[in-house]
Amino acid sequence: MTNFVEAKELQYQYQIKDENGEVCRTVDALAGIDLEIAPGEFIAILGANGSGKSTLARHLNALLHPVGGMLYIDGKDASLLENELPIRKAAGMVFQNPDNQLVAGVVEEDVAFGPENIGVPTEEIEKRVEESLKAVGMQSYRFHSPNHLSGGQKQRIAIAGVLAMHPKCIIFDESTAMLDPAGRREVLEAAHERNRKDNVTIIWITHFMEEAAGADRIYVMDAGHIVLTGTPGEVFARGEMLSALGLELPAVTRLAKDLKTTGLPLSDTILKREQLTAELLKTKESFGGFVHGAALPRSGADDMELMDVPAKTDRDQERILLDARKVSFTYGSNSPYQAQALRVVDLQLKKGSFHALIGPTGSGKSTLVQILGGLQKPERGHIFLEGEDIYGQGFSKKKLRSRLGLVFQYPEYQLFETTVLRDVAFGPGNLGFSEEEAREKAIQGLKAAGVEERFWEQSPFELSGGEKRRVAIAGVLAMDPEILIMDEPTAGLDPAGRRSLFSLLTELNKERGITILLVSHSMDDVAECADQITVLQKGEVRLNGSPELIFREKAALEKMNLALPEAAAIAQELSDCGIPIGRDVYTYEGLKKALGRTIC
Amino acid sequence: MLKNITLGQYYPGDSIIHRMDPRVKLLATLAYIICVFLFQGLIGWILLTAILIVLTRLSGVPFRMMAKGVRALWPLLAITAFFNLFFTQGEDLWRVGVIHITDAGLHQAVFYALRLVYLIMGSSVMTLTTSPNKLTDGLEKGLSWLSRIGVPVHEIALMMSIALRFIPILGEEAEKIKKAQLARGADFDEGNVIRRALALIPILVPLFVSAFGRAQDLSQAMDARCYHGGEGRTKLHPLVYEKRDRIGYLLIAVMLVVFILLRIRDFPLPF
Repeated sequence: MTNFVEAKELQYQYQIKDENGEVCRTVDALAGIDLEIAPGEFIAILGANGSGKSTLARHLNALLHPVGGMLYIDGKDASLLENELPIRKAAGMVFQNPDNQLVAGVVEEDVAFGPENIGVPTEEIEKRVEESLKAVGMQSYRFHSPNHLSGGQKQRIAIAGVLAMHPKCIIFDESTAMLDPAGRREVLEAAHERNRKDNVTIIWITHFMEEAAGADRIYVMDAGHIVLTGTPGEVFARGEMLSALGLELPAVTRLAKDLKTTGLPLSDTILKREQLTAELLKTKESFGGFVHGAALPRSGADDMELMDVPAKTDRDQERILLDARKVSFTYGSNSPYQAQALRVVDLQLKKGSFHALIGPTGSGKSTLVQILGGLQKPERGHIFLEGEDIYGQGFSKKKLRSRLGLVFQYPEYQLFETTVLRDVAFGPGNLGFSEEEAREKAIQGLKAAGVEERFWEQSPFELSGGEKRRVAIAGVLAMDPEILIMDEPTAGLDPAGRRSLFSLLTELNKERGITILLVSHSMDDVAECADQITVLQKGEVRLNGSPELIFREKAALEKMNLALPEAAAIAQELSDCGIPIGRDVYTYEGLKKALGRTIC
Repeated sequence: MLKNITLGQYYPGDSIIHRMDPRVKLLATLAYIICVFLFQGLIGWILLTAILIVLTRLSGVPFRMMAKGVRALWPLLAITAFFNLFFTQGEDLWRVGVIHITDAGLHQAVFYALRLVYLIMGSSVMTLTTSPNKLTDGLEKGLSWLSRIGVPVHEIALMMSIALRFIPILGEEAEKIKKAQLARGADFDEGNVIRRALALIPILVPLFVSAFGRAQDLSQAMDARCYHGGEGRTKLHPLVYEKRDRIGYLLIAVMLVVFILLRIRDFPLPF
């Protein structure tokens, strides 16, 4: 057998047990999978949450054993127990959570864990540790504790730990889902490099299609089946089918497709931004230019329309609700890890606004959120809630909690009650409402967060990840806040989950008038909904203003390792090439409209 | 909370103490603890102080890192001092009804608290200079003779090293969950003891749920990296005694003898 992975009709079932331990039903996690992966290939396996892709991954390095069908890995039958160790040695795995896969308290000892387990001689382990850390660019951290590394660095250590076993294949099971954009790039690049240089077979499991664009072939999974397979070009051409599966085409591909339907002669599937701009420029030449000709100065009214900013005439919006003045904070004073988290930060939150706070990991966002939320007194400076200092004497914390809701990163980790309804009622109960009133408020919160009624009496621990998150958000909404601060609310969700969460946020802001402060490290996330952006870096406010102002600062943003939103990047590249669409287009819809008007 | 405990917080370095065999350091810690409670007189205190200073200097760990460990354990110190102060027999220095402080009580309170401080700082020299993995290596190899009588030494050592790695992570997580519940209006500081204990449920339940999740993830990750028990395992840094370790053992023996002699005869404390 020449293929590294060979699967025919592979099946696996989970058994769901009731309270008495009896099997009440079985779920087909894999319902007949056919796979053929040649040595040295870079394969992406795409699928929404619950599609069975992680179950498949666990078969590929013998953590799970097939219930039916046949599976050969590296020429060995995966259903035989005696092949377990050889298969795990040949196909290593990098998991999702960076913290939960590192065993040792020192980097080099963690990398050595695998070779130690398979009985590699001491001198050889030493050599492999060095090589592997070098391969992922982490050799200078060899004697460090993993606890003080970033998520991307931890994942690179995990890769080194797999490399040290000299595997023929590495499986990445959503290894980038918990990372920021910079960390994601780090890990994806490390995988491609291993593939290119050492011809290691890579199996990259993800729900982000842009990560699959560089793969040799893609398998798309849904409900335990492989529903689509082919090169990225072939797979991305099936846009409707993919979005029905809860996946989302990369912004460039989506845009190219939409433009093609308006009659532009573009290729079928465009995967890269450069390709789109190049083809658009060719269009320009062959059609003898655009209707508008050269870039024309546009009127202010025109600008407004292009920006897609809903014109707010409400006088309320000028009222400042939450006002941070000259806030500074230092972590771990007098320790070796001392770090100034915030340096004289100002931030004004206007009533009714959708404000985004953006910055790379370690920029001080989370600290600022805690300070704004009344949980961490700033070293210097003040926070005013409509003129009152929230850390001042006599200011009631209860009053603050009832007006300002705070949703932390991965808020589902705070659920604790026996039923969803009781958990959501925890907040209102703490504010002093009677049990009956708290229940009433909880129901309102659940409705506002879009949690279906059938979940209300269930244990929150039985829900899916996306539902849990909604319940946690409902727990804050039930307290009826005027201001809602959310720290990375979409982290770890698949595209469908992200989309529905963003429409929830927009609805809360537009329909209910809740002032929102959204904390994020992704420009793409905020471009579509924010009307005010503050960019934080190394504890200082670097940029502050409306999105169109912020996105003009391309160079400054890139210096901070923050990418422009895809739509803005395309718009700027096109206008650099002489297509007059204005530099202040930054939403997908805005770009489509601007292009539609300029061309044709 | 938990994250202030220096235990398991390895301070990277390359000093002679860092490089020493963990078995030597473990035995030295044990001997040191015995010595702390062995002597009673002036020379003992001077000698012990000198040992602590020399070890700290040699290890290159800043003094405040060790002081941190003491700070984290001050309730223990306070309780010990309290009991010594009020419940030791002797000549009354002060008395109101049944409550009294004796001269012996005062003496005990001060010196037992001091002994505990020395104890914590001395053992943190070991924990700060020995990575958790080395520490467990030392325990595993140093106690391997116990496996002959059926004690699962390898498994216990592994459990310890994993616990040490995850204590700071769980400590941080507890802090995060506490803040999240505070934001939902929870109150951890009001009410009587029972109410306060009940108020911890919203922290403890999520913490346990997450700890179980992490344990499951970790066991899979270990399986994936071919972990299958202690059999046939090799080591990146196998423990081999070197010259400095033999000198270490010699010094431990000397220390023990000196302190036993001091137990028999020492200058009394002037107060």
